[in-house]
Amino acid sequence: MSIVRAENIKKRYIQGKVEVHALRGVSVNIDQGEFVAMAGPSGSGKTTVLNIIGGIDNPDSGQVIVDGNNYSDMTQSKLAELRLNKIGFVFQAYNLIPVLSAEENVEYIMLLQGVSAKERKKKARAILDDVGLEGKYSRRPSELSGGQQQRVAVARAIVSNPAIILADEPTANLDSKTGESLLDMMKKMNREKDVTFIFSTHDNMVMEYAKRIVKLKDGQIENDIIKDK
Amino acid sequence: MYFQLAWRNIWRNPRRTFVIISAVVIGVWSMVFLSAFSHGMLASMLDNGKSVLIGDIQIHNKKYRIDPSIDNSMDNPDKIRAVLDKTLPQGAVLTERIKVSTYVSNARHSTGAVLVGIDPENEKKISFLGKSITKGEYLDKKDMRGILVGKALLEKFDTAIGKKLIIMARDKKGKVASKAFRIRGVFNAEMEATEKQFLFITMTGARKLLNMEKGISEISIVLNSEPMVEKTAAEIKNRLDTELFAVETWKDLLPMLKAYVEIFNGFMYIWYVVVFVAMGFGIVNTSLMAVFERVREFGLLRALGLKPWPVIRSVLTESIFILLIGIIAGNLLGYVSVLLMKDNGLDLAMFGKGSEFFGMSRVIYPILTMFDVMNVNLVIFFLGAVVSLYPAFRASRITPVEAMRQ
Amino acid sequence: MSTDMKMAFRNIWRSPVRTILTLSAIAFAAIILVFMVSFQLGSYEIMVNSSVKIYTGHIRIQAEGYREKRNMRFVISSPERIAKTVEKIEEIKSYSFRANGFSLVSSENRARGVLVTGIDPEGEAEISTISGLIRKGEYLAPGDRDKVLIGRLLARNLKVGINDELTILGQGKDGSIAAGIVTVKGIFSSGIDDFDRSTVQVPLSYFNDLFYMDGAVHEIVCTADSLFDVNKIKRLLKANLSEKKQKKVVVLDWKELLPGLVQGIQLDLASAAIFYFILVLVVAFSILNTFLMAILERTKEFGVMLALGVKPNRLFKLVLMESSFLTLTGVITGVVVGCAITFWFQTHGIDLAGASEILKEYGMSGIVYPKLSIVSALAGPLLVFVITICAALYPAFKVKKLVPVDAIRSI
Repeated sequence: MSIVRAENIKKRYIQGKVEVHALRGVSVNIDQGEFVAMAGPSGSGKTTVLNIIGGIDNPDSGQVIVDGNNYSDMTQSKLAELRLNKIGFVFQAYNLIPVLSAEENVEYIMLLQGVSAKERKKKARAILDDVGLEGKYSRRPSELSGGQQQRVAVARAIVSNPAIILADEPTANLDSKTGESLLDMMKKMNREKDVTFIFSTHDNMVMEYAKRIVKLKDGQIENDIIKDK
Repeated sequence: MYFQLAWRNIWRNPRRTFVIISAVVIGVWSMVFLSAFSHGMLASMLDNGKSVLIGDIQIHNKKYRIDPSIDNSMDNPDKIRAVLDKTLPQGAVLTERIKVSTYVSNARHSTGAVLVGIDPENEKKISFLGKSITKGEYLDKKDMRGILVGKALLEKFDTAIGKKLIIMARDKKGKVASKAFRIRGVFNAEMEATEKQFLFITMTGARKLLNMEKGISEISIVLNSEPMVEKTAAEIKNRLDTELFAVETWKDLLPMLKAYVEIFNGFMYIWYVVVFVAMGFGIVNTSLMAVFERVREFGLLRALGLKPWPVIRSVLTESIFILLIGIIAGNLLGYVSVLLMKDNGLDLAMFGKGSEFFGMSRVIYPILTMFDVMNVNLVIFFLGAVVSLYPAFRASRITPVEAMRQ
Repeated sequence: MSTDMKMAFRNIWRSPVRTILTLSAIAFAAIILVFMVSFQLGSYEIMVNSSVKIYTGHIRIQAEGYREKRNMRFVISSPERIAKTVEKIEEIKSYSFRANGFSLVSSENRARGVLVTGIDPEGEAEISTISGLIRKGEYLAPGDRDKVLIGRLLARNLKVGINDELTILGQGKDGSIAAGIVTVKGIFSSGIDDFDRSTVQVPLSYFNDLFYMDGAVHEIVCTADSLFDVNKIKRLLKANLSEKKQKKVVVLDWKELLPGLVQGIQLDLASAAIFYFILVLVVAFSILNTFLMAILERTKEFGVMLALGVKPNRLFKLVLMESSFLTLTGVITGVVVGCAITFWFQTHGIDLAGASEILKEYGMSGIVYPKLSIVSALAGPLLVFVITICAALYPAFKVKKLVPVDAIRSI
């Protein structure tokens, strides 16, 4: 059963005075538990695809259905709720909330979901332990390295038990060793918790990790390869 | 080039610049407008105060101020007249009066009032009375029995033009004199108190009632320019025997008003500073923000070997641009609002009795003076430049290392 | 402390210099307003009290039309009957009868037309502070007949001292001539020049005979414990007096008796309100930039939060909470410091030597005492708070309208 279904998505931007066709009709189906890489050079539209699947950007035409919810008939507030409960985000620039500690950043999502304080604390610490940040619970983002910040971001994305996690170039700002260990960790989460991961990248090393690679070029899918296990 | 740079810099963030300029504009506008308005209130108080039988300069018997009695009149005014003939500048007008406290009654009512014997022709030119007869007639110089009363008094006494009033007063010889006068006209004054306080008869009528030969109580002089007042008063003093006569300006005669003028001016200065401080916080903050946003830029300039002074100068120039725009717009707005109110003024009818309480007219017309405008602008400009020094110095202390850390 | 509050609090201190400047601006406005309003209210209270306590009283009962016409014949012919009603009202602390007649008062060589008032020495001492303001001689005793109290300035103008004779010449209630000779028993100084210049008080019994009053009086002057009781007393008096079909009697409170003072205060308040409003507006624009910047420089952060599933409304509340924290801290600081400063001046007084001429006219001495009250401590700061929050709404609404993808992209 597919968890993400995108049908013929088109999107144009006005950049300065030039019209850019970011997406020229992209259709993709992703099943529960997949570990998918959106690959392609910059400007190929991978980030736009992720944003549209994540419901933070609207397509000009086409349909997005995530876990049975069709975006086209949802309000901003409903979309926010959907993102909160079904979708986790990991950004290239980590984007943790700077005034909250590692633990609080993770807890914040559960707070929004209405999880009790006791439960939040327990779960947040367990997940931070999972991503290898034992004992760094109360550090603020500015006191963590880039790799550590991205681990907090993954912990934050995963803590809400989302159906999918969208990661936009998660390793772009990290050195290759740190990047690899992050990817190992993401893969472990994928295996153990059966969370669907969709990430964009243009790094060959990252693509190695993916079970499926969707290659984009000029706003269209060039090819869609599912590797054998 | 250098000004161009500063000009472009302030428009890098138009919204922020607009907001801070708005703060300056409101501040400047409020200062210009409120000073014009306060000036209007003061002028109205002064005009009212002076027109009610005060004028610019008055001459009395020395003892009259403490003991305003008919005994302390000036019995031989010829000498004074001669002095004034020589002393008064062009355009000055004067009138003579006899003033006495009296008891007024008719068949059913009675009250205390000040009876004023006037020279109808001259009085008209000087005091409010000339313009305020609303019913009946003004006095004729030869009228021995006619009297002018205020509208409020007329109503209080249930009387009308043509009816009689009995005046009782102590005459020059110390006897109580009493005589009936016929109401010729009714005057309206800016303030109700004036309408109840004064009654006017002719000088000759007053002399007859009070058994006086040629004495007068006071001489009131109106000049056509305020700056001349002190000088003229001093000259008159020089030529008169100050042991016998008191020469006083409106400032001596209306100490309340003089104090009001001083308090108002003092208050406006305090107010300028208060509003300025409020806006100063915004200027410093905005300027600091602009500086912190450009830490890299300033760091780079320093790395390129620029000395602190040009950095200070450029930040300061930006602040001054903002100040100037605000000041110009604020002044224009202030000027326009004063113009808009020039014809109709601000009607204080809501507080009619209140404005009277302070001796003001019911309608206030703002008065914009060059002096006020200069004050406002200088205060803001200089204080504004002074507080902008802090962000400017802060910018000049940014080191390349600090910039790189950002 | 909830996480949102924690976040708001921490966000405020992300740029300490900016926050301190903003706090100072808000606190400054609040301090100025607390002090100024206390100063005004303090002066008003002195003005009202000096007038009410010296002469006016809180409530007067008069014949209809007497206040406007001051006609001798508009009398209350049987004051004792009304007094019975007055005595039944608990809130009335004391009352006394008065009668007034304009007369020409002459000394050996001076004369003045002034208001002669007949007072009941015992009752008057309860409702007016004049008995305690005698500077020379003594207050009237209950049995006194042809003795008078006069104001300091009138005594000077008439050139009389204690035990000197004065002739009163006026018109009786029936229109006949009223004439009598009295001696000065006491000279008072109320501090209100106009009053000291124009007042002669004689015993009511003597006034009654001199002006042919037939036991009638012009007014019954009542005082209450506090200004707050006045409305109730007035209502009760009106109800009781109309019950008894006492025709042609009106009940006037101090506001109606002193319309000039009341409207003067209103005018002063209204013009001050304009000044205050403008000050607060300048402050609001001064700090609007801080609020805006604090939001705009965090656009990306807000975009991320939206992406994480924070609803726009919650973000709006969070931003508003930050501004409210900041504003409240500033306002509270302002109230505390403002109250402290005001309190210091309340105990030490402000010497306005230059203004004493003006103040004397309104019954104040050259030293003014601001008066701190709940109203004066909170009214101004409340205005600051409301207007500042309005300024904060603008950036908060901007946050609400953010599109996550654009916000994340912005730097």
